[in-house]
Amino acid sequence: MTSPMTQRQITVTVNGAARAATVEPRRTLADFLRHDLDLTGTHLGCEHGACGACTVVLDGAAVRSCLILAVQADGHEVTTVEGVADDGAMHPIQQALWDNQAFQCGFCTPGFVMSIYGMVGEGCGRLSRQEIREELSGNICRCSGYQKIVDGVEAALSGEVTA
Amino acid sequence: MKPAPFEYWAPTSLDEALKLLSGFDDPGDAKVLAGGQSLMALLNLRLAQPAYIVDLNGIAELSSISRDNGTLTIGAMTRQRIAERSADVAAACPLMVQALQQVGHPQIRNRGTVGGSLAHADPAAELPTLAVCLGADLVMRGPSGERTVNARDFFTGFLSTVLAEDEILTAVRIPAAGPGTGSAFEEVARRHGDFAMVGVAAHVQLNGDTIAAASIALSGVDGQPVHAADAGAALAGQTPSDDVFAAAGAAASAGLDPTSDLHASGAYRKHVAGVLVRRALKVATARAKENQ
Amino acid sequence: MSSSPTGRLVGARINRKEDVRILTGKGRYIDDVHGRGVLSAYFVRSVVAHGRITRIDVEAARAMPGVAAIYTGADMAAMTNPVNLLPPMPNLVGPTFPVLAVDTVRHVGDPVAIVIATDRYTAEDAGALVDVDYDVLDPVISCDDAFAPGAPQLFDDVPGNLIFTDEASFGDVEEAFASADRIVTDVLDQHRWSCVPMEGRGGVATYDQATGGLTYEASTQSAHLLRIMLAGFTNQPINQLRVVANDIGGGFGLKFAICREDIAVCAAAKKLGGSVKWTEDRNENLTSAGSAREEKLTVEAAVRNDGTLLGLRVSMDMNLGAYPGMASAFAIPKQILFMLPGPYKIPAYAYSVRVAATNKATYVALRGPWAAETLARERLLDKIADELGMSPVELRRRNLITMADQPCPMGTGVPLETMTAAETFERLVSKVDLDAIRAEQAAARAEGRLLGFGIGTAFEPAPGTAAYWANIGFPAGSEPMKMRIEADGKVTAFTSQVPHGQGHETTLAQVIGDELGVGFDDVRVVFGDTDATPYSMMGTAGSKAAMMATGAATVAAREVKAKVLEIAAHMLEASPSDLQIENSVVSVKGVPTSGVPLAQIAMGAMLAPGLMPAGVDLKLEADTSYDGETGGWSSGSHACWVEIDPDTGKIEISRYVVVEDCGTMINPGVVDGQVFGAVAMGIGGMLLEHSAYGPDGQYVAATFMDYLMPSAPEIPEIEIDHLEYQAPTMIGPRGVGEGGTVIAPAALMNAIDDALRQVGGTRIEATPVTPTRILEAMGVIPRE
Repeated sequence: MTSPMTQRQITVTVNGAARAATVEPRRTLADFLRHDLDLTGTHLGCEHGACGACTVVLDGAAVRSCLILAVQADGHEVTTVEGVADDGAMHPIQQALWDNQAFQCGFCTPGFVMSIYGMVGEGCGRLSRQEIREELSGNICRCSGYQKIVDGVEAALSGEVTA
Repeated sequence: MKPAPFEYWAPTSLDEALKLLSGFDDPGDAKVLAGGQSLMALLNLRLAQPAYIVDLNGIAELSSISRDNGTLTIGAMTRQRIAERSADVAAACPLMVQALQQVGHPQIRNRGTVGGSLAHADPAAELPTLAVCLGADLVMRGPSGERTVNARDFFTGFLSTVLAEDEILTAVRIPAAGPGTGSAFEEVARRHGDFAMVGVAAHVQLNGDTIAAASIALSGVDGQPVHAADAGAALAGQTPSDDVFAAAGAAASAGLDPTSDLHASGAYRKHVAGVLVRRALKVATARAKENQ
Repeated sequence: MSSSPTGRLVGARINRKEDVRILTGKGRYIDDVHGRGVLSAYFVRSVVAHGRITRIDVEAARAMPGVAAIYTGADMAAMTNPVNLLPPMPNLVGPTFPVLAVDTVRHVGDPVAIVIATDRYTAEDAGALVDVDYDVLDPVISCDDAFAPGAPQLFDDVPGNLIFTDEASFGDVEEAFASADRIVTDVLDQHRWSCVPMEGRGGVATYDQATGGLTYEASTQSAHLLRIMLAGFTNQPINQLRVVANDIGGGFGLKFAICREDIAVCAAAKKLGGSVKWTEDRNENLTSAGSAREEKLTVEAAVRNDGTLLGLRVSMDMNLGAYPGMASAFAIPKQILFMLPGPYKIPAYAYSVRVAATNKATYVALRGPWAAETLARERLLDKIADELGMSPVELRRRNLITMADQPCPMGTGVPLETMTAAETFERLVSKVDLDAIRAEQAAARAEGRLLGFGIGTAFEPAPGTAAYWANIGFPAGSEPMKMRIEADGKVTAFTSQVPHGQGHETTLAQVIGDELGVGFDDVRVVFGDTDATPYSMMGTAGSKAAMMATGAATVAAREVKAKVLEIAAHMLEASPSDLQIENSVVSVKGVPTSGVPLAQIAMGAMLAPGLMPAGVDLKLEADTSYDGETGGWSSGSHACWVEIDPDTGKIEISRYVVVEDCGTMINPGVVDGQVFGAVAMGIGGMLLEHSAYGPDGQYVAATFMDYLMPSAPEIPEIEIDHLEYQAPTMIGPRGVGEGGTVIAPAALMNAIDDALRQVGGTRIEATPVTPTRILEAMGVIPRE
């Protein structure tokens, strides 16, 4: 990839591993993850921060990776959907979503998983169904009508997961 | 949708950032990058194509929350989520907590900054309206030093402020809420977390059973937040009642001539402005009573 | 993992196979395909609604480092065949147009050039350097604009911008209207909204210069149809063209058939050699991919004062945008008008329709494309009920076709059997207390609150019947499946379905597992690859899969099972009818110790045929199809409760109930998911979503800031009750994917009008129903 602009060397800790690359400043974190690191689980649904499909966890907080430059993640920690499960076994959040048949086409799914992961990581505790809907208002799903996603999150938050 | 190319700097001090900005031949070719929740979308859509980006996220000194002597000071790069959860902010400016809960979604607030929202100056955004309501002071620094501009003079039009191209907003100073005061934020949006079609921030100071002072600001009804100064001033000395609130709503709404867009007509915004002023005053007054 | 009380797979809420990769981010969607040598395509698009291209200069763009090629409309025309997607049909005039605009652009977003570069960033940089001059022409925006005398003509070969016209009459319509006690008229002016799958359109075209083979990995709903059409437009022999589909991020009708960009990407790959990837970004998807539902219907009902419907008349104008897609121009208006009488006894019915070409993005199929008929009809019924002083429940009850009435024809003559709209309606009504609702509404009004209640009932062709489809002019056809037992006794099934969220890898495994007596995990469903899967034109569309693919899987499995049992009969010295297969073991019924593992039979048949019984068919495969028997209808009734804030016009849906009947549910979790998603889409369409154009044809809703998708708080908790009426067919399941999107708008709009009626508000005649429209209808603010 050629560019007239200065390329920068960055090192980002992604899913626990230090990953180095040389990128253009304008390269988004989402594209860095997807194309430079082959972590294609993070999806692009809008590229203007409205749909949440690109959600990753940056330094413990759920953020839209399409609205962050890769260079801004230099020296920081990113968790993507590929980093949530433990070597083949599903994370309890993923298991709860699976058991509740929350998703259909799957394109929005990693974004939801990471938003929920971030939410749980911040200690959201038990939430009502309405509160769950509001917490997830930044993630758009076209297939599911959200109800079974809420079921899955409710199950995950109450620890009712058949892992 | 990918950004056009730009050169990029990530200074670690405010001085360094300012030096960079004033060093460009045309500072209008540069944009500072704060939380990126507005600017990055514009870059991705190529609606903004600055030649230079100066990233402020590495400047630790711009992130802070402090309270002293009746003033709450929030550094411009403080994340909205941090402010939303801060005990100091909750105590000194409950209106900000309430406003922030309406801002977008948690993922936006995790990254978006208090100063970024103020400097971006979207007329439908919550923080600029809050700043106008409370008469906050905005602190900025440029090559000629630091200056303070009151929020009511800061916003000049659609996405426009008095910030010069070589200046950086560094902090916002808000008078801390005292006893007998209450505030409220009411807005109507198409969906949860959207920019408001119309929003109202109201602040009421009670003196016993009468209103000592009140302040009303509106979002979404003009190119910048509207300070309904006359409607607010007219409340001084009045005994709170629904009729009084309704009259304030009518007064605030009377001077408005909002434009129509896909989301709401001008007539809608004008009418609902009055409705929300009435509701916000009612809630703010009730809170002020509890706070006496 | 769970199974139903009977231990069978069908009927169980089994966890989906697809979810393992979906939840862990290991899916393969189009933009995930990358690697050395995969180039990126970017389309330069028109910024004017209607214009002539007077100049297009790509020299500066071509010179940019990293750019492999740029093809203008003229370049592309030399590499492809012109496009006309419509069949020869009376009263249908299909224009012929180039793959990329050459002389004329006909909507904002019309592609004028394709840039191929090393990556998307570079391609967009180069695209920005493509210089295009337009001579702006007057745009044609509405149907009225299109049909006005002297209107600008979009296409030389479409006189008067009239793409299609149709009319038909059933029964004695004149008599019905002459003898009516009253005529009730209603207007529905539906806005344009879009499919908006979370993954936009796209594909990766790879041309192998050594073999002359073209492969297109596509985000498609109809792999085989796409293949045939691509071959034609790119001059590629069909047998040298392979379409594959992996994970597809939603379709909802958008990804059916072909789009011009598919052709351009494939042609570019052929010219360059190597791989070219195109992924549509959200801006393009909202602006250029196409939208739907822009129809204006005027309906009249001939009514007796006791509520009996004597006849209906409807005229419709449909705004097709530019560049007609494959079926929208005729199949969708015909479906709308053919279904309009719905589940009611309508002795006389007449319709007419005009379909206009306009300067908007093309009209595409959108989940339940015929939905306007239910919205128009159910609203009309509420209006009739109101005028007669009858309850909307009573009016419907008086006119609904019940199971006892069937078999009987529908209003448009197609025979009906096991159409259970009335039964879903009665179940719904049994769950609501209309008197209590009216009392609640009155009490609320006294407090200054505004509550509304509405219902909607319909049936849908899922998959419909041969007679129905013959009337639409769209082939029904049979559904194929190939299946084989592998040497280890496990099963591979090849379907022509192209699932994009429907869970066919799971549901078909449930069906096949039960039929063959093998475990759910031992069945693998292959889809999307035209080299491997059997041919069907439709792919996954029209709510056919539940019955048709299930039928194909059942027929194929029974064929394979028969062969297995024939072999086993020799080995176990029993008659095939005394044998069963359970848990992959073939045994004599009632003698479990007699079993032979299926794997042993399969391995013997494939690797040691000489040791197998003589004279039996050792090929444990089936390549067969299911003819659909007498087809089927699914039905539903919805009830919606709203509260409208009279000061802000905001609408809150406080309760929503669905009763639906799609026959046997293969996987109730999948069925529920389809209903929830379909209802959510219908709600979004009515209240939030708008593919809006300005008066000059400028497209206004190009980002998610303006095109508003419903998020979780906007969708209510939905209660679902399932009826499982069995049609007299061997195959029990029927489709369920679209009904929710068809009925939800009706229930919701009826609830809104019910609320407004109480305060003397005017009827909503145009959608979307925004807070502004509510306050206008209430007379609180002046109309714009």
